[in-house]
Amino acid sequence: MSELRDIPIIARGRILMPADGDAVEFKGRGGSSFRSPDPHKHIQDLVLGNAAHLADLNATKMADIIEFLAEAGKRLRLEDNPYLQESFTLALQAGGLAEPILRGVYDQLPYMFDGQSLTAQAEQTIGIPYLDGWVPAPAPHENVRVRAVGTRQLHITAGNVPVVAALTIVRGALTKSDILIKSPSNDPLTANAIARTLIELDASNPVVRHIAVAYWKGGDEFMDSQIIRTSRIDKITAWGGMSSVKHIQKFLSPGIDLTALNPKYSMSMIGAEALESEAAMEEAATGVAVIAGFFNQTACANTRVVYVESDIDEDSIEKLAAFGRKIVTAFGELPPVISTPFEKPNEDLAAELEAAALEDDFYHVEGDTLGGGVVISKFEDRVDFYDQLNNRVVNIVPVSNLREVAKWCDDTTQTVGIYPEAIRDELLDTFSLVGVQRMVSLSGSDPMQIFHDMHTLPPGMPHDGIEPLRRNVRWVIDQRPASDHTQMMSIAAE
Amino acid sequence: MTEAILDAPTLAPETPGRWLEHGFEALYALSWRDIEDVQLKALQLQFDKFSTSVAALEKLARREGVTRVDSVEDALPLLFDHRVYKSYPLSLIEKRDIPKLNAWLGRLTTRDLSQVDISGVTMIDHWLDRLDDFGMLVGHSSGTTGKLSFVPRSKVEFPAWQRSYYEAQRATTGVDAYTDPVETFFPGYRGGHQMMMKMLSLFNIPAAGGPEHYHTLYQGHISSDLLSLATRMQVAEDRGELNQLGLDPALLQAREALLVQGRRREQDIEAWFFELFEEFRGKRVKLGGSFGDLVKTARSGIAKGLKPEFGAGSFIMTGGGMKGLKDAPDDWEGYVKEYFGIQNVGMFFGMSEVMGMSPRCSQGNYHIMPHTIPLLFDRDMKLLPREGEQTGRYAFFDLMAETYWGGFISGDQVSINWEEDCACGWKGPRIGPVITRFHEMEGGDDKITCAGTADAYNEFMDFVAGES
Repeated sequence: MSELRDIPIIARGRILMPADGDAVEFKGRGGSSFRSPDPHKHIQDLVLGNAAHLADLNATKMADIIEFLAEAGKRLRLEDNPYLQESFTLALQAGGLAEPILRGVYDQLPYMFDGQSLTAQAEQTIGIPYLDGWVPAPAPHENVRVRAVGTRQLHITAGNVPVVAALTIVRGALTKSDILIKSPSNDPLTANAIARTLIELDASNPVVRHIAVAYWKGGDEFMDSQIIRTSRIDKITAWGGMSSVKHIQKFLSPGIDLTALNPKYSMSMIGAEALESEAAMEEAATGVAVIAGFFNQTACANTRVVYVESDIDEDSIEKLAAFGRKIVTAFGELPPVISTPFEKPNEDLAAELEAAALEDDFYHVEGDTLGGGVVISKFEDRVDFYDQLNNRVVNIVPVSNLREVAKWCDDTTQTVGIYPEAIRDELLDTFSLVGVQRMVSLSGSDPMQIFHDMHTLPPGMPHDGIEPLRRNVRWVIDQRPASDHTQMMSIAAE
Repeated sequence: MTEAILDAPTLAPETPGRWLEHGFEALYALSWRDIEDVQLKALQLQFDKFSTSVAALEKLARREGVTRVDSVEDALPLLFDHRVYKSYPLSLIEKRDIPKLNAWLGRLTTRDLSQVDISGVTMIDHWLDRLDDFGMLVGHSSGTTGKLSFVPRSKVEFPAWQRSYYEAQRATTGVDAYTDPVETFFPGYRGGHQMMMKMLSLFNIPAAGGPEHYHTLYQGHISSDLLSLATRMQVAEDRGELNQLGLDPALLQAREALLVQGRRREQDIEAWFFELFEEFRGKRVKLGGSFGDLVKTARSGIAKGLKPEFGAGSFIMTGGGMKGLKDAPDDWEGYVKEYFGIQNVGMFFGMSEVMGMSPRCSQGNYHIMPHTIPLLFDRDMKLLPREGEQTGRYAFFDLMAETYWGGFISGDQVSINWEEDCACGWKGPRIGPVITRFHEMEGGDDKITCAGTADAYNEFMDFVAGES
């Protein structure tokens, strides 16, 4: 259990292992311990002090970058990549995701490096011509040209789903940027595993020479003060809670652009039609089970609260209870690649459910934190512990009008599941305005299909309401003397 | 051990609230091993009484299949979690649905709260006033998590509760509050229903010798409505919808006044203490306040070159809380003693949910008295053995509870030494000086996820809660 694992610092093509006199230990999830080189001694290996050193990546054509990534993607297969296997084993021990789900997530990695998809991503977000060269403005302003130039980026990544590491590396390369990844303690290996795979492929590739990966403790003021300087970092992407953002906030100054991908509480909205027939109830229950249960409810997009258009009289609550039971049943029937029962109860949440169950004037509880459950509010409000809903437990909240749900929405409301489709158009604009970032469908009754559709987006779609790629480049203007022809034209126009 | 028993009073299982009437010395002469039987008997009596008269316990016992208590272990499933004291929906507070709140609270006590006159009550403060009039003594938390928990105590317990506090003071400072009133200073509110404020005014005023001898920084009471609505009001204010909450205008004014007062708090404390230094120079006083308050005052006094001089026999009674204080000195106690020139610093370990205080001994440990059955749990909620020294999550049965169920599991992590070999000479299980919050570290040092699970944080809430 307390095995000590050595984790290197990845420093632009070099692998720095911990050694006597240059090592720090830290604790990961599930009682594991790690040893890394002391990041305090490697500041220079981690940051790119001189932005002009991005010239090599700047000069590399997008096609070559993508070709390299695609080649790497072929090697990011769990079955024959020992680094990923190590990261996988560790993630499994950590216990956040069960084996079949985790395998499914790792199986996604090669696709995230698929050449065609990467090309489309770069093209549809920034536009490859802007990345590879200077693009003239439309006539008659051809003398003004724009280019998207790479930046020096710090990424404070989330560890609940390993794809975050892959996403970060891909986005770094697609923006021709220098990236420093601060690994999370709950996934200290995935970014390393990908970076080491790239190093083995070609340590001298400009992409590889602009990837650094290290772990240091959040709130390590020495590290933050050394790294977060306008002379060393242009952009920061911070995943995770307020605490991770708050630590770095005091070092922010004009010139450093912060993208905070803060925690999200996603939800679903269910129209009254769902309770009108047995078949509709089952279809909606399956949809809710998928969106709440996938990746065992560890992701931002997982529904935690389900608002249902319903009255609160006894009969209506009984109907909601029946709907809740169907959701619990549907959790149990999800394919293991989507979701699995938990092996250990969530003590805190279980205690909340027990306390709620004692208050039958206010709540009704079905299921538990092992197989999944629902807690039904008997009035128009979510439970006070809504931010602790996990382990495939959702809160069903009756509301007389779904539009009322807008009052519970803000920038933390990421993904909203909708059933039936008929209610969507009426809600779409209002909910866009109050903060919702994505609306998905819960219809269809086939868990695999719903899961697949939910996760199939065209390349280059916005993320949490923003466009990270466009935001993470510097848009530079090259304004040359206007040609005589243009000047003549404008004079004539006057 | 046998000698101690011979000298000791007989502890009647029917009346744990009276065990302290012989003074703390008699209780600390007893080994916990020798009083396990009487403690269990008292617990059985409590269970028999409350399992039919406290609705929440009745329901929990039924669900857990507990019909009788033949051992302490039998009663473990019946420990109330902090959630039980706040299991009402927050919207009841927001809508100030007093009848429903009252009915909810009624399920936690043997008293028939349907008899409380709540007609015309629209504020939490007034509801709690009416409950006091009815014979309750309900105290609530400071709501740092955004929701108040209510401890359903009543005046029936008051004499025992007060004795427990006074005896703890006598044990840790040597000063007997019953016979030796001392001018008392407290840098906070004069009262209110928040448990700490309520306790201090209930106990400090008589101990000081009357209201004119109890000097508080603010003359007002802390408002339960403001504490409970702070978060909601802040959100509404951010949206520019404060006026649409339908709040009593008096409440909005009170909030404004509190904000103004809060901004001036540091200066007020200073001014108040300096006044105290001059007016009471050379006189005997008792100082209260959190560690943080005392350290802050000492610091600003040193910066201004001021030095208090109190009379002989002065003492400090303090407890918990470095809140709002950065870079507290490691030896804060030595620092405070040195500055105030007071060597006698009394402390005890207690919490809102238990009436028995555990005073600090000469060795820095907090000894638990027989009217509390202490328990420690590990991370998996397994009971830790009662031997040697154990560290875990603290729970207890409060045998002094006469109108509500006293079984409670806290959020504190403590170490208990069960060996009764403390050099101070007191017996009883003793809690070591290091007390932390019990929480799981599942994610390691620095877990980051994209899913929102962190507790909501609100500066205004923190600010208001920080008053206590």
